[in-house]
Amino acid sequence: MAAPCRKMASRSYSQLLCCFSRTAVGSGACRRFSVTPIDRATPRASTAADRATSPWSLMAAVCLQRLPVITADCSPIEQRFKQMLQQMELEKSMLSDHELRLMEDAERMSRRQADDYDSDEDLGDQEIMMTQDLEDTWEQRLKNFQPAPRVRADVDEDLTSVQRCLTDSLVLLAEQQVGAEKLWLLPQAAWQEGETLRRTAERALDSMTAGVRATFLGNAPCGVYKYKLPKAARTESSVGVKVFFFKAILVDGTPGSAPTAPLLWLKKSELQKYLKPAYMMNVGRFILNL
Amino acid sequence: MFERFLPLDPLEANCTDNPMLNCDVLLLHTVYVNMFLSFCFVSGTAAMNERQYRDMPTHGIGRWRHLLLKQPKKKKDRNQQKELVSATDTAYGTLNVTVSGYDMTVVEHYSQYIHNFCNRLNIKVADSYALPTKSTEVLLMQEQGNKTYVDAVLKTHQRVIQLSSLNASLCPVFMDVILKNQPEGVQLSVQEHTEADYQARFKARPELEGLVAQINQ
Repeated sequence: MAAPCRKMASRSYSQLLCCFSRTAVGSGACRRFSVTPIDRATPRASTAADRATSPWSLMAAVCLQRLPVITADCSPIEQRFKQMLQQMELEKSMLSDHELRLMEDAERMSRRQADDYDSDEDLGDQEIMMTQDLEDTWEQRLKNFQPAPRVRADVDEDLTSVQRCLTDSLVLLAEQQVGAEKLWLLPQAAWQEGETLRRTAERALDSMTAGVRATFLGNAPCGVYKYKLPKAARTESSVGVKVFFFKAILVDGTPGSAPTAPLLWLKKSELQKYLKPAYMMNVGRFILNL
Repeated sequence: MFERFLPLDPLEANCTDNPMLNCDVLLLHTVYVNMFLSFCFVSGTAAMNERQYRDMPTHGIGRWRHLLLKQPKKKKDRNQQKELVSATDTAYGTLNVTVSGYDMTVVEHYSQYIHNFCNRLNIKVADSYALPTKSTEVLLMQEQGNKTYVDAVLKTHQRVIQLSSLNASLCPVFMDVILKNQPEGVQLSVQEHTEADYQARFKARPELEGLVAQINQ
């Protein structure tokens, strides 16, 4: 095929190579990610004449999620079903190599113990390690292994810790000054000339938290929330604000040494207590409760 | 037509002077018509449920497939390389979603889940194939001696789902869902599909390469 030609557009365009791995807990309580952007076309600066001035000011917010680290517990029905399936699989399965060796060894022992045993019958070398001994060593090693506790009640209570509730996905909330009052919102920042909305969202994340590495899932926003300013604050040129939300996945577990604003990690069910109802309704549409 | 299959021509039997016999012959005629239907082999003439009276002047009036020119049967080459879709402003190009892990059932079920999910979201799935299994031997040092012994053999299975194009607005939703549903012990990787990826699936042919080298010398 001919080399792909990319048209320059007002939005920047970048290709993501994402590698997500769900391996053992290596770095804290997060999955390991690697992102290699392969192409980043510079945006063509849109001239003032292109855009009609709109009374809505733009902002971009980031919906940073920490994915679950361990499996969720099974409900009682799921447990029973799992047990039943395991039993069925065990009954239908064939004997493994280890089990066959165990049986052979047992048979050989019984032949040796028999009265009419002839030592010449025993062909082949004797295994130095009997299979039963192997199994015993494995059992011993398993007993020595101590897994970390799945649920730690004290960490779960701490809303600012990123290690709480390892079985659920958490969303980051920051307390921000909006107008005259402090509100709990998804971290947001105002859009500036010449940058893309995604870049604004990245800037919002960096300003709220220092040193947090996140992978943005795409250039397109996943939701929008618009609100009109109170009548007193409304002028000719600014009627309200439109906030575009971008989804991101947390890569590194440390939210930084000194966050500038108070941060919270909340499950979707707990969001209702902190967000305004209209905002919650809008945001709840794109936060998946999986 | 009847003559080919039946020795007795029922039409001749129809011409009897005895009216009492005619109804029996009519029944016989019906039976022969049904048998004709079961022997009908011309493709597309009539559905089996329709009654075709051969005497009717309009018999076979709807037939058209015999008028088409016979198309040569082309050999379907399953391993032909699919066209590489290039990325546009609003959509990603050909993407490879690779699922890999040690447990084959989990890996296969997860790849099936992703495939069904793409079908549901109307994302075009170009191809869905498996890469060869890689075996890893785990060697442990013996406690007493210096020798290592084989402790376990781990097999890494890989399944690839090739998406022909992914809409940029759909991408965050798609990625979010498959990440949240990722099972434990399974690695997920989303990359662009390149020519090199396709060529890596083929086995090396040493004789051919030797001959080519000889020609080039």
